[in-house]
Amino acid sequence: MQAAECTWTHFEMLRPLCFKSPSTTPLFFNFSKHFQKGFSDSSFFRSNRRISNYPSFMATISSLSTHKDPVSTHDATPNITHQPVQVAKRLEKFKTTIFTQMSMLAIKHGAINLGQGFPNFDGPDFVKEAAIQAIKDGKNQYARGYGVPDFNNAIAARFKKDTGLVIDPEKEVTVTSGCTEAIAATMLGLINPGDEVILFAPFYDSYEATLSMAGAKVKCITLRPPDFAVPIDELKSTISKNTRAILINTPHNPTGKMFTREELNTIASLCIENDVLVFTDEVYDKLAFEMDHISMASLPGMYERTVTMNSLGKTFSLTGWKIGWAIAPPHLAWGVRQAHSFLTFATSTPMQYAATVALQAPDSYFAELKRDYMAKKAILVQGLKDVGFKVFPSSGTYFVVVDHTPFGLENDIAFCEYLIKEVGVVAIPTSVFYLNPDDGKNLVRFTFCKDEETLRSAVERMKEKLKKK
Amino acid sequence: MEGKLSSVAKNFTPSSIQELSQLAQKCNAINLAEGFPDFPAPPCIKEAAVSAINNDFNQYRRVQGICDQLALTMKKTHGLNVNPLTDIAICCGQSEAFAAAIFSIINQGDEVLLFDPCYETYEGCITLAGGIPVYVALEPPQWTLDPEKLMRSFTSRTKAIVLNSPHNPTGKVFSRDELEIIAEGCRRWDCVAITDEVYEYITYDNQKHETIAKLPGMQERTIITSSLSKTFSVTGWRIGWAIAPASAASAIQNIHIRITDSAPAPFQEAALTALRSPIEYFETLRGEYELKRDFCMKLLGSIGFRIQFKPQGSLFLFSELPKDCLLSDVEYVEELIKQAGVVVVPGRGFFHGNESCNYQKRYIRVAFCKSGAILNAAAQKFGELINAKACPKILY
Repeated sequence: MQAAECTWTHFEMLRPLCFKSPSTTPLFFNFSKHFQKGFSDSSFFRSNRRISNYPSFMATISSLSTHKDPVSTHDATPNITHQPVQVAKRLEKFKTTIFTQMSMLAIKHGAINLGQGFPNFDGPDFVKEAAIQAIKDGKNQYARGYGVPDFNNAIAARFKKDTGLVIDPEKEVTVTSGCTEAIAATMLGLINPGDEVILFAPFYDSYEATLSMAGAKVKCITLRPPDFAVPIDELKSTISKNTRAILINTPHNPTGKMFTREELNTIASLCIENDVLVFTDEVYDKLAFEMDHISMASLPGMYERTVTMNSLGKTFSLTGWKIGWAIAPPHLAWGVRQAHSFLTFATSTPMQYAATVALQAPDSYFAELKRDYMAKKAILVQGLKDVGFKVFPSSGTYFVVVDHTPFGLENDIAFCEYLIKEVGVVAIPTSVFYLNPDDGKNLVRFTFCKDEETLRSAVERMKEKLKKK
Repeated sequence: MEGKLSSVAKNFTPSSIQELSQLAQKCNAINLAEGFPDFPAPPCIKEAAVSAINNDFNQYRRVQGICDQLALTMKKTHGLNVNPLTDIAICCGQSEAFAAAIFSIINQGDEVLLFDPCYETYEGCITLAGGIPVYVALEPPQWTLDPEKLMRSFTSRTKAIVLNSPHNPTGKVFSRDELEIIAEGCRRWDCVAITDEVYEYITYDNQKHETIAKLPGMQERTIITSSLSKTFSVTGWRIGWAIAPASAASAIQNIHIRITDSAPAPFQEAALTALRSPIEYFETLRGEYELKRDFCMKLLGSIGFRIQFKPQGSLFLFSELPKDCLLSDVEYVEELIKQAGVVVVPGRGFFHGNESCNYQKRYIRVAFCKSGAILNAAAQKFGELINAKACPKILY
């Protein structure tokens, strides 16, 4: 069949992506070196990347093994001194995620895991039953690549309810394997190598990895305690006509900050002025406690330049189902869909049917969700304050960030290590969420997406064993 | 705003296979185009998934048991020693395993060899990662591999070769000799073989699928990708894997975590049940598909096709149009929809050569992974046309 749907053929830029003769523009400068065979990756990364200075205990933990040092159980195979499968240079520095490392350490020490952000309780029965029914009804084959039609419709309906915006489910909604894939597909579909993208630190760790895969040039603006407000002057001096996109996560992981209307308006006007795209990660939008969640796409002039991403996992406590989506105007949705089709091709079919039911949940479901989480938050926040942490206000998500320095450990990683081994509780060191780890060395992140008993036990352990210096 | 699209995205066009499926749905045509079954998945595997959902296996997870089972299978079937703790990454389908494999080893400018014709998605992945696809044409009608042509295609920039066997769309199963030739190229040029073995259990006439990884010097330079989808008729579950030397497997796992984070948790649990299926399951699968293959060949024969290459594996029959037929593949497919209410895929989408080969517009691909009822319905439609001697455009 003809490639009839491609409507951009008149653009001069339509030529196969070719890296044999790197462009001479300055934007490509950082990458032309990257093309040379034998180029050492360390200097490339040092020039515009954070310094990777994880202490040794993390480096020794294998991502795939429950042992500290993976033991080869191979039978006698020819001695291989030369490793022919050489990992791509762009990704050599991305090792195991901090979450996996911490979880494994938690198991080893029998620690209570308030680190990784998934619940230890399960999703609602009505959603699980819908998935089971779909499996039994034989909905087990490939779904349409960009989403099961009913699900796309449900996403559009939900978006209208939440933002007032009317969108076309056929052209403007793309279903992905979780919001993680929505982010990857958005970056790979809409970002050219060398494009500037602005990130706010601290940031969820997959953002940087996928921007690296897209070959983007990352410009980072750090949000600082106590309120993690957007430094407007710094933003104004960072954003320019060279900026391709800005990524906003609200409600924000790890700080729990929610971008205010004023902040979003300011960012919006700068984006319009400089013709910048906005990618928003709004997976915690239903866990908005201290203020209403605002979608950037709903601000005047912003829908046409925004990709709004979300997922099922956090709202319905089904993080392992991997159902997410991206909402964008057709010319942007197109790019997201293309990349998506080469990343995973299609998303889990029975779960999409269940997600359709989930998104149509009555208001009472969301009200109860909020109530439950607010109760959990109260237990944790009060507990952390009693223990002696400096607790920063968290308006949304199920995370809270605290200053651990009253306990006298030299940095966040040392503190987390101590917390697991000596106290039996897991938190996440936030330095991994910054380009410059020093920015996070005083902060650690706790989660309260655990049942109340677990939260209370964790607080008890800390009260008992964590002493101020 | 169109200028905001990356140049990579602008080059991509919708999946022609998916478009045809949508047309078929609109016309209510019999779908022999897209390669997924229309019969149910095995009940015990569905039960396992239901059970997993009920037992709260619904949060992020990575089920190590899948790796353990795969390692056992690799040893038993191919004699390969695979470390389940370090050599296997679980992904959202073979699609993601392949994408992650490409991203894990392809640097900007690396060349990747592909056999032509081939599944349309490989090229997109490679291009997305900044790689350059280079095609090596298999020669019709038997889709033979020319060793010299292959060797000439390797350059100092070649990083990898993609090997899909059993093969979509032709149904070819690469022979041991052919695997040796490819292996020789990989060893000589220090390249990686990335395999797509999703049809590994679907071979015919006592043909056995062999993985190139078992050849001398190959395990250390091969990334095997496969999935549950075709073996267990659960293409919508998105459970696949990559098996590779530890450094590559680790990179693939880490990339997978950044692309999707986790394969759907309840289906990982169900995969344990699936992968432990008794040998009878696989024998029955093969036997049933072989019957469908034979039926499909007769079907096409009845409307004038002369099948020159009998599928040795996969779910597809790839045949040239009858000599007397003057239509192109696309024209023929349209006629088939209109006159017979049956949809197949025009072959041109699988060819990528620079050579202006006429044959590239003369093939159609028929998927026979369909229930007996559907295949019979197609036969009936053809029968009606033959009896009525109607439609010279599709009868020869």
